[in-house]
Amino acid sequence: MKMKDMIEVLIIVGIQSLAVNVIGTKYGIVEAIPGLIILILIALAGIWLGKVMPGGIPGVAYVVTLGCILTIPGFPGSEFISEAVKKIGFVQLCVPLLAYAGIAICKDLDVFAKSGWRIIVVSCFVFIGTYIGSAVIAQVILKTLGQI
Amino acid sequence: MKDIRLHVTVLVLCVISELIGSKSFAIGVGKIVLLPMFYALIMGVLTAPRFLKISGTKEIKAASGLLGLTLMLLMARYGTLVGPTLPKIIAASPALILQEFGNLGTCLLGIPLAVLLGLKREAIGAAHSIAREPNVALIGERYGLDSAEGRGVMGVYICGTVIGTIFFGLMASFAAAYTPLHPLALAMASGVGSASMMTASVGSLSAMFPELADQIAAFGAASNMLSGLDGLYMSIWLALPASEFLYRKAYKFKYGEEPPKPLIHSIAGDAKGDEQK
Repeated sequence: MKMKDMIEVLIIVGIQSLAVNVIGTKYGIVEAIPGLIILILIALAGIWLGKVMPGGIPGVAYVVTLGCILTIPGFPGSEFISEAVKKIGFVQLCVPLLAYAGIAICKDLDVFAKSGWRIIVVSCFVFIGTYIGSAVIAQVILKTLGQI
Repeated sequence: MKDIRLHVTVLVLCVISELIGSKSFAIGVGKIVLLPMFYALIMGVLTAPRFLKISGTKEIKAASGLLGLTLMLLMARYGTLVGPTLPKIIAASPALILQEFGNLGTCLLGIPLAVLLGLKREAIGAAHSIAREPNVALIGERYGLDSAEGRGVMGVYICGTVIGTIFFGLMASFAAAYTPLHPLALAMASGVGSASMMTASVGSLSAMFPELADQIAAFGAASNMLSGLDGLYMSIWLALPASEFLYRKAYKFKYGEEPPKPLIHSIAGDAKGDEQK
């Protein structure tokens, strides 16, 4: 995919997110735009780093890391960036993403319908096992360290 | 502009979802939260050719191709949630790192259940891990995706794709309401190596505990990154050997005899498996 197409898609997702943000949060379009532009720039820079940096680390890792570094307290401009992106709700950002995911799932529906009930039951227990297993360990350690 | 029909469909779905807003239902002592992102997902599925016929094959294909890219803004946002809370995350790092071993709960619970339900070697593929992309690749390399193990991992992978997001959202709600587990512990558990499952869980938790929302999201994002880093090694070194062991025990318990030796059995990770086929 060309960089130009990626920018186009990111801007489209930005517009969709903006619509959701205006409805779902107390911030208007004008207040949200700086944060959204920052997020788009972080995403682009991360994707670009993923392409040019050696080591084959996927772009998404650079995107998260960049977002993290730019907002560490004390980093130049971190306060401005934090304030700007705070006006974009992360729950709101998920909505366009899951709409795309829902449309993409359509192609898996036939396979899903064919999978037996046993696999579906096992899947549910796999999810529960992972989640509760991790949560119990986290709970014990956080409690021992006195953090909760 | 390409795929305009797809983007406009998504925009409309987003607006409708957010206008409905999040709904919480009191069930017993706790409450279950339904978030706009779930409606968007379900309505997305409903646009399929077999239902409302809004999205065609072209849109479906484009949507799956764009999924990774549409994730990026959210990932950037997660980064900016981790940054300001970094001191707290470092303070909580022992818990963050050790809870990764909780992912072994998957095979402890899943393998015996799968065998009791009558699955054979499918159980190993299905229940050794949460079966996201890296695990599918691992099982594919070791046993081949057309093997019994491969069918198992693909089955759970598809289930995770179709029902995983909503399952995680509801499970987080239930666990927070009905178990003594702290929301921050549940936030750490949310990071299973799938951005959408993590987001659904984190979204539900932060709707229930708004005062902790930023920290919940930061812990979830940090733990999800960790899972992405260690998940594969965890599977290779711990979960797969443990699954083989549990499979033998569970098989003997159910059928009263040792399981037949698998045709392809290469725990050492040699490449013989593929050549034998």
